[in-house]
Amino acid sequence: MKRELMEILACPMCKGDLELSVEEEEDEKGEIVKGSLYCRKCEQRYPIEEGIPNLLPPELRQESE
Amino acid sequence: MVKKDGETINMKDKKIKQFVREGYARIANRDSSCCSTACCGGTDLTAGISKEIGYTEEELNAVPESANLGLGCGNPIAHASLREGEAVLDLGSGAGIDCFIAANKVGKNGKVIGVDMTPEMIAKARENAKKGNYGNVEFRLGELENLPVGNDSVDKVISNCVINLTPDKGRVFREAFRVLKPGGKLMVSDIVLLKALPDSIKNSIDAYIGCISGAIMRDRYIELMKEAGFHEVEIIDESSFPIECMANDPTATALIANLKIPLEKVNEVTSSIRSIKVQGLKPEETT
Repeated sequence: MKRELMEILACPMCKGDLELSVEEEEDEKGEIVKGSLYCRKCEQRYPIEEGIPNLLPPELRQESE
Repeated sequence: MVKKDGETINMKDKKIKQFVREGYARIANRDSSCCSTACCGGTDLTAGISKEIGYTEEELNAVPESANLGLGCGNPIAHASLREGEAVLDLGSGAGIDCFIAANKVGKNGKVIGVDMTPEMIAKARENAKKGNYGNVEFRLGELENLPVGNDSVDKVISNCVINLTPDKGRVFREAFRVLKPGGKLMVSDIVLLKALPDSIKNSIDAYIGCISGAIMRDRYIELMKEAGFHEVEIIDESSFPIECMANDPTATALIANLKIPLEKVNEVTSSIRSIKVQGLKPEETT
């Protein structure tokens, strides 16, 4: 995912802002390949894997893991 | 839907969701299109059906072929009047076809976000985005009832033959309303019913053809959009659901054969299934 998309993203549960942590980034395009998005309010961490943020609600997210 | 017993319904909702994800994961994993569980015909039919339901040849040629699984029931973009630079959200983006068509319309300064709850579909869509070198399209795993998108953040919300699969349609419309900027527009292609399906069909097909058994009555659909806050809700196009979509569906034919439903009954059912394009506006100032 791209950094600039942070402005549109929100926590699926409380719709609040998410904090981005980057573990791996492709330099040329600013594409975040691995990392996570954290919602302070819900204390939920949403993983970013292979460039795709998993923003399913916690219940559905566990099922897909 | 009347919720007599919250818990039972909730369990049923969860089951439907699980079924839908599994079904579409299987479809995504198939090399080429298309599906036996969802609402369309075989591989050769995909392009033909896509044209029949409103995609232009030009639009189809401009996107990666593998992005078109033939799962839609219309072309929501045809009437969405997308403009250069707009932000578009696609609910249930699948392999990405509508996102890519939208991306071509909003251009470099615009952005398109596809949300889907099936990891396999998202992976496929992302592959297609790379193939087509789309820099302005992003996909994320998310649930339509809990959109991971901020309030008032997109210009258009589009969706193609997906909301019928969701157990709580009212909530999906409320979420779409929330994320739209004031003045923004929701544009949906979907399947609705003119007449309730007979119980025998509804229950038995339930587990197989989510796209028809999940459909609700047309008037209720419109009502739910209005209840979510949408103004100027309007059906701008309506047609019968292409029969070949069902006739070529092996699961459907097998089921019909097993159930020994008389042909006239089948015709009665299919004629009450309609494909609609409907739009709604989020007013400039919400009251």
